[in-house]
Amino acid sequence: MQNAGVWAGVMFLIYASGMFWQALSLKYYTPFGPGPGLFPRWLSGMLIVVSLLFIWQSIKEDVITFRDIFPTNKAFVNVASVWGAAIGFMLILNFVGFITASSLLLFTLFIRGYCWKTSLALAVGTSVFMFLIFNNAFGLPLPVNMWGW
Amino acid sequence: MEELGHLFHGFEIALAGWNLLYCLIGVTVGQLVGVLPGLGPTTATALLIPLTFGMSPVSAIIMLSGIYYGAMYGGTITSVLINTPGEAASVITCLDGYPMAKQGRGGVALAIAGIGSFIGGTVSIIGLAFIGPALANFALRFGPPEFFSLMVLGLMMVVGLMGKSLTRGLIATFIGLTLSLIGMDTVSGAVRFTFGNDHLIDGFDLVIIAMGLFGITEIFIGMEDLSSLPKPAKIDGFMPKREEWGPALKAIHRGTWLGFLIGLIPGTSSAIPALLSYSLEKKLAKDPSRFGKGAIEGVAGPETANNSYCGAALIPLFTLGIPSSPTIAIILGAFIMHGLTPGPTLFMNNPDFIWGVIASMFIGNTLLVIMNVPMAGCWAKIAAVPPKLLYPLILIISILGAYTNANEIWDVGVMLAGGIIGYFMNKLDIPMAPVVLTFVLSRLMERALLQSLKMFDGDILLIFQRPICAILLALAAIMLIFSVIAAVQEKRKMFASDSEM
Repeated sequence: MQNAGVWAGVMFLIYASGMFWQALSLKYYTPFGPGPGLFPRWLSGMLIVVSLLFIWQSIKEDVITFRDIFPTNKAFVNVASVWGAAIGFMLILNFVGFITASSLLLFTLFIRGYCWKTSLALAVGTSVFMFLIFNNAFGLPLPVNMWGW
Repeated sequence: MEELGHLFHGFEIALAGWNLLYCLIGVTVGQLVGVLPGLGPTTATALLIPLTFGMSPVSAIIMLSGIYYGAMYGGTITSVLINTPGEAASVITCLDGYPMAKQGRGGVALAIAGIGSFIGGTVSIIGLAFIGPALANFALRFGPPEFFSLMVLGLMMVVGLMGKSLTRGLIATFIGLTLSLIGMDTVSGAVRFTFGNDHLIDGFDLVIIAMGLFGITEIFIGMEDLSSLPKPAKIDGFMPKREEWGPALKAIHRGTWLGFLIGLIPGTSSAIPALLSYSLEKKLAKDPSRFGKGAIEGVAGPETANNSYCGAALIPLFTLGIPSSPTIAIILGAFIMHGLTPGPTLFMNNPDFIWGVIASMFIGNTLLVIMNVPMAGCWAKIAAVPPKLLYPLILIISILGAYTNANEIWDVGVMLAGGIIGYFMNKLDIPMAPVVLTFVLSRLMERALLQSLKMFDGDILLIFQRPICAILLALAAIMLIFSVIAAVQEKRKMFASDSEM
């Protein structure tokens, strides 16, 4: 199962089917006119049909394998490091505050292209600068730790 | 000539104090995002929306629309000097712009692109000023069935003109339409598809979705290759040769009208008029073999067309409340946030706002031509910022933009999820622009459809008895047939790229 198109089509199909199933529990028509289920039922129904067509085309006409679309080695590590760092940022933001979480996120990304000293300086410097701009200058409150940063 | 009086009043508003500064900020940011390959007008507009909360509506829209048309100018510089388009509409400019730069005529290419952009942009704003009110007046006759029919036509345009294949366009369209249904239904009050999650009661935010699909996706793709861009070519002189003026001005003339007409069609993108203009110039040229080797018409025509498109694309938004591109969809979101209702009543109820914005676009275009022609070399140096520095900075600014939308980490998560989904969609050649456009249209469509069904006592076929609806739906059907034929003949590849990232 190396066909990426089929997997994507299956994902679309699951999404559309879930929505269609949920839409069935909403009223299609009420005594006062069309109900909240009318539009979702039609749209998700059509998405089911289009998803099936996409799967069929992915098998018969337009085969795209994972190898065709995914970057290899270093490029993939670069992209995966952004995903990992961003998820980590979200998990720790409210506990360690913006400056620490942002510094860690940026350090993970800068280290892909700079030495660790430059990466650290850039990460901390950018985080402090952004905190001062958004939190202090624009008055948009950002999460802080027990020390207030 | 009532419009002329309104326009002069608009200049008073646009030139007043802060508005002029916001116009300058808008066009400068637009120019910057046009120059930087990792950032486009959609992301920049979405990012700056939270900063406009404290502004008056006119200042906010002046700044945001400045980003939109400013980006079209900026994209040209990198296309010509380093063969790297800053945004999709400038891709075609590389074909002749870069060869001109290699011949030491980069300054000439930028000058003619700047002149063409200014003429195209100005003519289209004049069109907006004079056609807009008349069209809005006509649209006042529209009821829910007409609006529904118009949105069906817009939808067909989106499906028909975007993406490599019809199926992929349809997938993106239905994803956008269904995503918008999540949350409380404003017609019945029913809560739909929230799975008990309180964050979903208000549905997904357009700005967050757009930032994820466009901005974050672009960062993920950019992170794959962190190698630096080439150094820009040197600029020596800006004046075209004497014999070049004639063909260049003719190309500008044709590009202006082509861009303007395409801008009026909902669902198109700025890359389409540029592409068509290039093909047209090549067909009309006495010696088509010059194209691709530094033909001045190959720069003048497309650059004029994409700027002319920008002004015209605002006409459907201002008069009908229908966005024609992802950036315009974000601007529509900004209208709503500032308590304005885009559509036919806008010209009547908010004349100060609308004429102030239109006048600011004349000023913005003038500022851009000054910023571009003599200062092109400085802007090109900005493009040399290494991606390994640029992408992390854009990421943290995007995260801050998403967080400050509602001061919740939820929005950051939605944006990142949108980015990951967008990354895979990009890899599979599924266009993202239709997702954002249909996301905006979905709720409007549903409301218009439900109101129409109520008017017709449930018999939707009665919609064909209304002449405007019948014409619009017939056009939609023709568009669908055209798309199917194009899909069968595999002629859609020219529309494959997402525009205005």
